[in-house]
Amino acid sequence: MTMIDTDDRPSGLWRDAWRRLRRNRLAVAGLFIIFGVVLVAVIGPWLSPYDFLSQNLDVRNQPPSASHWLGTDDLGRDVLARLMFGARTAFLVAIGVTVTAVFIGVSLGAVAGFFGGPFDRFVMWFTDITMSVPQLLLVVVINASLKQPISQWMEARYIETLNPIYRNSTLIDFVLVFGSMALISWPAYARLVRAQVLSVRNRPYVTAARALGLTNRIILTRYVLPNAMGPLIVAVSAGLGTAMVLESAFSFLGVGVTPPTPSWGNMISDGLRVWTNYPHLLVAPAAVLAVVTVAFNFLGDGLNDALNPKGQK
Amino acid sequence: MLAYIIRRFLIWVPSVLLVMLGVYALAFYGAGDPIKLIFLRAPGDVAYDPVKIEAIREQAGLNRPFLVQFGSYIWNLLQGNFGNSLFSGRSVWAMISAAAPVSFLLGLCSIILTAVVAIPLGMLAGLKQNSRLDYIILGTAVTLWAIPAYVAGPLLMVLLLVVLPEGSMPYGWGGLFSVKIILPLIVLSFQPIALILRQTRAAVIEVMSEDYVRTARAKGVPELVVALRHILRPVLTPVVTQLGLIMITIVNGAIFVELVFGLPGLGRLTVQALINSDFPVILAITLIGSFLVMASNLLVDLLYPLLDPRAADAKGAR
Amino acid sequence: MTALLEIRGLTIDIARDEGPARVVDGIDLTVMAGESLGIVGESGCGKSLTMLSLVGLLPNRIRATAGSAMFGGKDLLKMTPGALRRVRGSEIGFIFQDPMTSLNPVIRIGDQIAEALIYQKGMTKPQAAIRAVELLALVGIPAPEDRAQAWPHELSGGMRQRVMIAMGLAGHPKLLIADEPTTALDVTIQAQIVDLVRDLKTRLNMSVVWITHDLALIAGLADRIAVLYAGTVVEDAPVAEIFDRPTHPYTRALLDSLPTLAGEAMSRLPSITGTPPEPGRRPPGCPFAPRCPLAQPACSDAVPKLAPVPGSDPRHRVACPIVIERAVA
Repeated sequence: MTMIDTDDRPSGLWRDAWRRLRRNRLAVAGLFIIFGVVLVAVIGPWLSPYDFLSQNLDVRNQPPSASHWLGTDDLGRDVLARLMFGARTAFLVAIGVTVTAVFIGVSLGAVAGFFGGPFDRFVMWFTDITMSVPQLLLVVVINASLKQPISQWMEARYIETLNPIYRNSTLIDFVLVFGSMALISWPAYARLVRAQVLSVRNRPYVTAARALGLTNRIILTRYVLPNAMGPLIVAVSAGLGTAMVLESAFSFLGVGVTPPTPSWGNMISDGLRVWTNYPHLLVAPAAVLAVVTVAFNFLGDGLNDALNPKGQK
Repeated sequence: MLAYIIRRFLIWVPSVLLVMLGVYALAFYGAGDPIKLIFLRAPGDVAYDPVKIEAIREQAGLNRPFLVQFGSYIWNLLQGNFGNSLFSGRSVWAMISAAAPVSFLLGLCSIILTAVVAIPLGMLAGLKQNSRLDYIILGTAVTLWAIPAYVAGPLLMVLLLVVLPEGSMPYGWGGLFSVKIILPLIVLSFQPIALILRQTRAAVIEVMSEDYVRTARAKGVPELVVALRHILRPVLTPVVTQLGLIMITIVNGAIFVELVFGLPGLGRLTVQALINSDFPVILAITLIGSFLVMASNLLVDLLYPLLDPRAADAKGAR
Repeated sequence: MTALLEIRGLTIDIARDEGPARVVDGIDLTVMAGESLGIVGESGCGKSLTMLSLVGLLPNRIRATAGSAMFGGKDLLKMTPGALRRVRGSEIGFIFQDPMTSLNPVIRIGDQIAEALIYQKGMTKPQAAIRAVELLALVGIPAPEDRAQAWPHELSGGMRQRVMIAMGLAGHPKLLIADEPTTALDVTIQAQIVDLVRDLKTRLNMSVVWITHDLALIAGLADRIAVLYAGTVVEDAPVAEIFDRPTHPYTRALLDSLPTLAGEAMSRLPSITGTPPEPGRRPPGCPFAPRCPLAQPACSDAVPKLAPVPGSDPRHRVACPIVIERAVA
């Protein structure tokens, strides 16, 4: 009997998935890149000798050099410093949007799928609507039309209270950008979770749990949702990348994070205006955005393969 | 079948009405006073006269309550009247019917290009899973996916600038059969191709492990026939569904591509309308965009039973 | 009788990150012309892999690494993929376990059968279609002309398995390998399928290898039974010998765990303690030793070879020196 010991076997789905993920070199590379960029986002602005805002009109539009590794922009600001601060913006937007969207999507999707009925039909109808409109258009319309009234309202509040928080234009940007992007992102999560819940709801072990007299809440959180985790994690990793690209798309259309707060999106969009003369101003942010997006995609693919080993035969 | 199409249309109508109500509300409460906007943009000699403004407002019916205005907008819409642009004063319908063919042809070609390029390559990558060929195809697809159209466009133009003489820049619209369409088409198709390619690859990998593929091999069917008949056929079902769903990606992408390449399509019209807060145009475009997405989803649903006999039965039962 | 298929020393490994894991360890098996051989063993003992390896249908990471499999004067394991393809279907037919997933859902049944005929027998499409209907009639499907036009999802499990059999027979193979074809079916249907295959075997004069974990099921079907344990043959004997004089401790345990009507009511069925070794964790020597009631320290020294059992049918062979010693004594 001693031959068949089971102690050192890799136990559990998650450890297996982690092992499969580590085997996927592209996914590991993606993970490293993402960790690196997160690190830069957190500590980067302290590393750089330049401030992302400080202008130096003597050194405008300089090509990359020893003192400015990635050159300077049209106001003489250090591109690398702006890129590093842009990483902060990118992750703030990506995480903020994804967390909001996942929270709304998962709770609505899970409840809709688990209980069904009119609530389910309403949620699905609403997701149908949001998914059947060109989403970019919707976000741009929301941003374009709400920005002015909100700024006016904030300005009025500032005059009333003199509280400097109402003067923070970055705050408005983030609220609007987060809000509108989350609005178009949550239906995808809701549908995914609902589909998972529906497929799990009638499995024998859930019936068994019900037969044991467990409450709906416990069944939902302990039995049903954990089964939806795999696909959800994959969707989230892809969603983080998509959110970053979306932010840059909005900046390109002029409704994203407004300058001078640097975002990769508004750096690209600034770079596009002058790229024939100063290509480094376009290439640097575009390359960074592309690399990070690719990293998220590789990670997402790796997670997908690791968590759904069916295709890995 | 016709009854089904009509039913789907009737389901779509309240959804799109709700969206339009939302956009209309944004315009009404958010965008600021359209009349003032017109005056602010008018050439300097028009005096800012409050009385005059009120007169125009009265005349345009813009002083009525929100719901009344929305109702009359919809009522006009039902009679085929999309209203006039706040900015240029031209009929919205005329603007759209001038721009729509450009976008429509571009989108159609993009879907065809996507199907022709992405399905065979995805198939190949899936069949040779984890080979070097697979990595090259997949890596290219993921990279293309990650580069936004507004970056890819200018960069490709630079590359062409090196090759082509100055005068023949592929900028603007020359019709479907002009060479100018090639570059925008390619850039517009990057993301759809990447998406469909990965979907096809994933579906192929899944189908390859199905028992019926082993059965086909056990019968002694040649590998090529196994690939084309036993793997590709079942793969097409989910992939065609996706082809319908990427319509939304293409509609989104067209906004950027038309802007970058200066094509006079709906995308550019949209951006101009947004810059000008030209809400009659924005509303019309929202309606058309939503209709396109609905129609392509419907088309997919109608095609589905032709590809999957199991779905045909389920539908017969419905 | 001549040998149709002779497997010698077949070894199959799974490629894993930690290194290869052996699943089949030196199997010797012979199938005579016109014989039906039952292969019995628990799931995971390598019985299906052994048969799949013959025709090059092993899953991706699994390879036959040693041994030979002579079939019609040629070694199947050394054939090119192209040559193997021509063996599949026309020389060796297959029936698989789950008829629900083994038929392509988007191809009509008649076309799936006709396909085998087109690519193996070089028939034209109309010829193959006519022959497909005949084959459907042969396997006892009512209204075969209509059924040929049906989609797989329109048939019941039993009917689908009959279609699978028709496909397996389409190329008129000399050897039909049935890989647990009844496991997924209802008990009443199981018996019908067993009867059908037995009937077809005599009518078409072919050999049948029937893989199963259900000893009772093939008692009436097989001429000879090979018992597999952890990738090795532990006992190989004519069917009557297996049931009357089971010799290997594992075979005995298998037979003991079958319920009988004669036994006292409500008594507990004996079961074998422990679990079979996992691939790559094979114990040294006899793989059954850790679970064997007769095990002695010497059992772990060397893998026992199949040897005739003294005093019984000369075809009765067992891989256990201890029981052979006892039989001599």
